[in-house]
Amino acid sequence: MAELFGNLIDGLSFVTGVIPILTITLGVIMGIVAGATPGLSPSMGVALLVPFTYAMSPTLALILLVAIYIAANYGGSITAVTINAPGTPSSVVTAFDGYPLTKKGKPGLALGVSLVSSTVGGIIGTLILIFFSGPLAKFALKFHPAEYFALAIFGLTTVASLGGKNWNKAFIAAMFGLLLNTVGIDPISGVSRFTFGFSFLYDGFALIPALIGLFALSEIFKQLEGGDFSSQAVAPGKQEWPTTSTYWKLKNTILRSSFMGTIIGIFPGAGATIAAFISYDVAKRMSKTPEEFGHGSLEGVAAAEGANSSSVGGALIPLLTLGIPGSASTAVLIGALMIHDLTPGPQLFISNPDIIYGLLASLLIANIILLVLGFFGARLWIKVTTIPKTVLFPLIFAVSIIGSFAVRNSFFDVAACLVFGVFGWLLRRYNYPVAPIILGMVLGNIAETNFIRAIMMGGWTVFFTRPMSLGMLIVAAASFSVPLIQARKRK
Amino acid sequence: MQKVILDKRVKLTLKAIGLVLILLGLLIMVPKAQAAFPEKPIKVVVYTGPGGLIDISARKFAGVAAKYVDVNFVVENKPGAGGIVALKKVIQSPADGYNLYACTKSNIAKFVQVGGSQYLDALNWTAMLMADPECVITNGTQDIYQWSDVVSNALGAPGQQNWVGPAAGGLDHVTALKIWDAYGIDAKWIPFKSGGKALAALLGEQGIAYVGNPRDALGNADLHIAAVSSQERLPAFPDVPTFKELGMIGLENEYMWRGFALKKGTPPEVLAWYDNLFKQVTADPDWISFWSKGGIDVKYVAEKAFTEQVYKDAEIFEYYLRKSNIIQGEPDGALANLATGKSFLILSLVLVFAWLSASYGIFKSSYNALTGRFMIIGFFLLVSILFLVQSMNFPTSSDVGPAAVPRLWIFALIPLNLLLLFRTFRNIEAIAESGPRVDIVLNFIGFLVVYLLLMQVFGYFLSTFGFVIVGLYYLGYRKWKNILIISSSWILFSYVIFYKTLYVPLPLGSLFERLF
Repeated sequence: MAELFGNLIDGLSFVTGVIPILTITLGVIMGIVAGATPGLSPSMGVALLVPFTYAMSPTLALILLVAIYIAANYGGSITAVTINAPGTPSSVVTAFDGYPLTKKGKPGLALGVSLVSSTVGGIIGTLILIFFSGPLAKFALKFHPAEYFALAIFGLTTVASLGGKNWNKAFIAAMFGLLLNTVGIDPISGVSRFTFGFSFLYDGFALIPALIGLFALSEIFKQLEGGDFSSQAVAPGKQEWPTTSTYWKLKNTILRSSFMGTIIGIFPGAGATIAAFISYDVAKRMSKTPEEFGHGSLEGVAAAEGANSSSVGGALIPLLTLGIPGSASTAVLIGALMIHDLTPGPQLFISNPDIIYGLLASLLIANIILLVLGFFGARLWIKVTTIPKTVLFPLIFAVSIIGSFAVRNSFFDVAACLVFGVFGWLLRRYNYPVAPIILGMVLGNIAETNFIRAIMMGGWTVFFTRPMSLGMLIVAAASFSVPLIQARKRK
Repeated sequence: MQKVILDKRVKLTLKAIGLVLILLGLLIMVPKAQAAFPEKPIKVVVYTGPGGLIDISARKFAGVAAKYVDVNFVVENKPGAGGIVALKKVIQSPADGYNLYACTKSNIAKFVQVGGSQYLDALNWTAMLMADPECVITNGTQDIYQWSDVVSNALGAPGQQNWVGPAAGGLDHVTALKIWDAYGIDAKWIPFKSGGKALAALLGEQGIAYVGNPRDALGNADLHIAAVSSQERLPAFPDVPTFKELGMIGLENEYMWRGFALKKGTPPEVLAWYDNLFKQVTADPDWISFWSKGGIDVKYVAEKAFTEQVYKDAEIFEYYLRKSNIIQGEPDGALANLATGKSFLILSLVLVFAWLSASYGIFKSSYNALTGRFMIIGFFLLVSILFLVQSMNFPTSSDVGPAAVPRLWIFALIPLNLLLLFRTFRNIEAIAESGPRVDIVLNFIGFLVVYLLLMQVFGYFLSTFGFVIVGLYYLGYRKWKNILIISSSWILFSYVIFYKTLYVPLPLGSLFERLF
């Protein structure tokens, strides 16, 4: 333990120099912008900047990249709150309550809570990473495909409470998302499915264009249809910001979601999005005012942001302790390590402790810088909501087009984004929630590949013979049926 | 009076536009003067996102090559479809040597699977620069980690041993199939999303062996390289035996290679220029030392031998991909026939017609308030049925085939929709189906479609400029100065941030591609 603290202090002394602090600040700014731009996800933000880091020292390069990674995870919530265009898949959940708050004229509350929950979540995730990475990594390794499948099913059951009285439509949307996810090359057998011979379908539908279309575009179409585009969302003038007591009331939600986010973030592939959905679901069940969820609940915003930001710390656990990426962004970090001739994995703790502890210390610093920059930034972002809609809408269209193109530099994605936008608009007219489609697209791959792997390894019964998988499936079944039964009783 | 001035202005503008168009036309027609190669930056097209080994190779190459020639190499990432997207980019550009395709042996597997020999034939296989042997990695903390134990365990329990690795049909999978053939092993390949995730499964004791690159075992002391498929022991891993030493002949040449290809038809003088450059880079000490640490063999195999190698690899891939059912044979059975070609097209048309006419029927009936809701339900059912029919054509396998999970979702989707249909008709509740201004939405969708079409010709910047102006104007914004400021600043922003800083290759349009 003493050695750990000694190393940490060494790490801290390294990253508190002028150049590292400037690097982190630069990373945080770039990350916020990348995260806030729909179409630039954290992993893309990191990936796009990897080439720039080739010329830097390995430690500086890494702290720049993780600063971007952290800030991008937060940045996604800005556009989710202000224009209902989640910048990242995980901030879909932030939009559930953040955007209704903007519509009510209180974007300041949502932005404030999302910033503070993000940074607190980020710091908790980092602390767990520093102190418990060893045992947690061992635990994660024991996770069998059957358990991954059970986790995905658990994630899917959140649809039951998300959908409320529209549960029938919510499940249709989720199943449709899952089905869409099967388009493309089958990750297990390698055969192409539902591609109808088109090569642009081999990789299936990208998530980001679907996200932009279903959320941002469908929202604009809806508002255009309503004819209420002659004003702005929020009148300029005095804004309401959260007070210390607002944050204090949310402490339990933030802490709980941060722990859940870190733990779920550990499992390679599960990541920030599932963490946010599950944490939101749990927050709603534990809340004294569950009826506010979906209509501007601050607890909802805190649960979503706390979970998705703390998952960064979780995702770094398998990366640092095992050399295995826990998310798309950390996969890019591995590449960045390799270009600097460093081999990620446990040996790195021995061969280059300066890099590891510099990285850990910079995570803490980056979160603090994010809090400061975000505090001033929020006063700037909020201006977006005061732009007249006649100006805002054409610009959101322009952002959506460039954002969906940037994902894979493909026109197919742009067209898909537009189709998703029209489709989402039609669905919302008939009270279908669109978030379950995204959830289905995120979980589809994890559910399917692990379902098949589990059966290949242990036969059809494996889901029920492994205690952990069985336990998770039982919890999933309960979380699925309880809201339905409650809805029935209320009738 | 004012009207006259306006008319004059319009005429002047029209004249100016006409003049610009004529100039543009002339520019396109003027043939470009021939200059010595290279006269502009060379794009290195990488088929993965940044960060992977092939991306690192391309960037390292760009860095080292800059020492020898006075030209900029720009790495462009074109991920997608296992290299097909990047390939298409290269073969759709002129054969002038400015698009260098960074390829690996894994591409060959994908090309064989998707396009047969047509993709192989579209390229000039210019240079193989690196080769690293495949190896079998085991988990040193498990009882079975020595190669001989792996073999005897597998032979003792046929079909029971699990091997983990990346996607089925890729190089590592095919190497495993070859090893199994050589030893008469019957084992299972459990594919993971990436090599890293497969290694996690190996460390989590979910498999006995992993196939990949020796470099994968670095960094984690629990990982043990059981055998390597090279001619001789690798200098970087002197303790690892080769298959030959372990008594198996025929597995000493399983290499992963990385190299470069150009579009077929590239002029000979350009090829000669590259040949010279590859020789210089391969001999560069910085280049050699960077790769040798990971046990990667740096050698330059020139066009002729490389091309032979590529076609030989393709043959082997084809054999194993057919054997493991990844390349599909002819459709089998009546339902499978329905899923292919013309019969599927006819079926789709019939179903779409049925969907539309049923909707029309409802629209004309007393249930007409439900038309919209019915159409959505009908759409989901339509997609479910079409996907279900398609899935009849997927190959079957001993465990769960590729059709299993899509069908699982479809079998949930159909009853859920039927239930909703039943509930909708039983309980007709009024939903405010539409707002007052559907026309605005439809017009905007029209603008967006036109905008995307114009982008193909006039490029991103010009068409976006126009789109933003039209959008602002249509929504009733009339401050012309602001309109110009807003649209120009957006163009500037996307140029500086997306095009210049993030290297997003925004389309310049067919018009301008011919100009510059």
